[in-house]
Amino acid sequence: MSAERLRMAIPKGSLFEGSLRVLRAAGIEIGALADPGRLLIVDTAEIRFIIGKPTDIPSYVAYGAADVAIAGADVLAEAALDVAELADLRFGACRFVVAEREDAGASIADSYRRLGVIRVATKYPRITEAYFADRGVQVEIVKLHGNIELAPLIGLADQVVDITATGTTLRDNHLRIVDEVLSSSARFVANPVAVRIDSQRVMDMAGRLARAAGEVEQP
Amino acid sequence: MRPVTPRGFRDVLFEEAAERRAVTAAVSSVFAGYGFRFVETPAVEEYLTLEAAAGASLEGTAFRMVDLDGSLLALRPEMTLPIARLAASRLSGEPAPHRVCYVADVYREQASLRGEARQFTQVGVELLGANGPASDAEVVCVLCDVLAAVGLRDFTVGIGTVAVLRAVIETAAAGEAWSTELLAAAHARNLVAFDRLASAEDVDPAVGEALQRVVRIGGGREAIGECRRVADAVGCAGSLDALEAAWELLEAAGLAGRVRVDFGILRSFDYYTGLIVEAYAPGLGLPLGGGGRYDDVLAAFGAPMPAAGFALSLERILIALAAQGVTIPVEGLDAVVGGEDLQVARTAAALRGAGWTVRMTGARDDAGLRAEAGAAGAAWRVLAGEGVARAADGRTLVLDPVPAPPAGGDAR
Repeated sequence: MSAERLRMAIPKGSLFEGSLRVLRAAGIEIGALADPGRLLIVDTAEIRFIIGKPTDIPSYVAYGAADVAIAGADVLAEAALDVAELADLRFGACRFVVAEREDAGASIADSYRRLGVIRVATKYPRITEAYFADRGVQVEIVKLHGNIELAPLIGLADQVVDITATGTTLRDNHLRIVDEVLSSSARFVANPVAVRIDSQRVMDMAGRLARAAGEVEQP
Repeated sequence: MRPVTPRGFRDVLFEEAAERRAVTAAVSSVFAGYGFRFVETPAVEEYLTLEAAAGASLEGTAFRMVDLDGSLLALRPEMTLPIARLAASRLSGEPAPHRVCYVADVYREQASLRGEARQFTQVGVELLGANGPASDAEVVCVLCDVLAAVGLRDFTVGIGTVAVLRAVIETAAAGEAWSTELLAAAHARNLVAFDRLASAEDVDPAVGEALQRVVRIGGGREAIGECRRVADAVGCAGSLDALEAAWELLEAAGLAGRVRVDFGILRSFDYYTGLIVEAYAPGLGLPLGGGGRYDDVLAAFGAPMPAAGFALSLERILIALAAQGVTIPVEGLDAVVGGEDLQVARTAAALRGAGWTVRMTGARDDAGLRAEAGAAGAAWRVLAGEGVARAADGRTLVLDPVPAPPAGGDAR
């Protein structure tokens, strides 16, 4: 196994640039990954990079299609699959927050008292369900695929659970943050078998990336 | 309507069924070689029985149902607890140790669209009423022998122990909530959360450092030495004695090349108290199976008894064999018999009586038999006649006495 390339899944989208920065800082040759164009698989001497949609990365790793990966803690929590989380790479920091319309406070409390349920829109139903269940709040969860901040504005939901880096989008849409659910950042993860039978390469990579993450200047 | 099986359940057809039987037979003969004896338990257990021993880990996995009496039942999600229940209720009067083995279907709930089966087959052993390194080593030996016997060319067995982690956690004395959280992080294989908890402010830094190092130690014999140094620094070296003694026995059994020491192995069931073992095949992203020592489980059933065992997934063994290009020898058909019906029946009966496996066909001539033999994968084509049967190559089988069946290598 160790004769073959280590298969590393990299999320496209907002974590992609940060992933490249940390890989470079760790002195890992990234080859064509710097500008993959339409390529989804990029091979270097040591590593086969697999470029995937961020929410699919946990599945790649859990089923062993990739040995290791970089993935957001938010996506990992939502997927709830069996992967080994080995290092916090610090970039891509964001917070999961509960938000509602700036003028909503009293009306939500009123409707919860009378209807006994709050409707919450989110891209992350599992995290949302766990959060409200912990607090004993009854909610109906509406799963949406994007523009979550729209939901309270058009009367689809009372509150939203969404990720935010700076809070600007929420503010621009007249939403205010009422609570923080969890904070997230990019993590280095591994398949639970790869981390056992290929542990030297996997743990060595985790150590290199963790050290590099500490050195990379946060944008 | 077009009937379908429920999500996560499937039928097993001829070829696969034959291979499963062949693998199961190889496994069973290893079990028998160590003096393990088969048991069968019901597919359904009282949910409370399982919960008493497995606790919260059952919540998301057990397939539950309510019967007409209102009892909450669960399809067995694994075999360790049913066998512990059996031992507590049926074997408590008999002299220990008990060597018990099984081949059984187990059932687990799975969310949809995850590509996971809800029924699969486990093969495994439980060694009940025996403690100490010799029984730990025996369980690992059986596991290694099974994996070799089924024909796997390449596999690794990892062994570790939860005793070290538990001893260091106890030394930390940082409270129940912290211990629970730390173990949960370890079970979830979340080293980021584990490190954060280990380096929490109210934890002695030396202990925190030891925790972070222990779960990262792996290798051969030297890994035990390294772990001993780390554990010794916080006064926990004794928790390694059992593993070290078991390792020596495994080394003596010639298994040092197969077995790897790994203190990072933590299985998701949280009832383990000592040895932990897991089996891997390269290229398979999930373990073939695993197990360990669970000395407190039988106490939950009122019959305290040390115990250890392992379970392997039959499905994953077959996937690994296919990935390694291993063909599983299955028993084929010796002959197809054609001709006049009465003669076919007589000839087939005579051949079966002599140990042949034969299929009776309606074919009247060799062309018909040829098609039948091809479809059935039979080695011989036999046209039945009075007192003799003519084989397709022109040879005549004289049926008095009936010849012995063709040897395994005698192919078409």
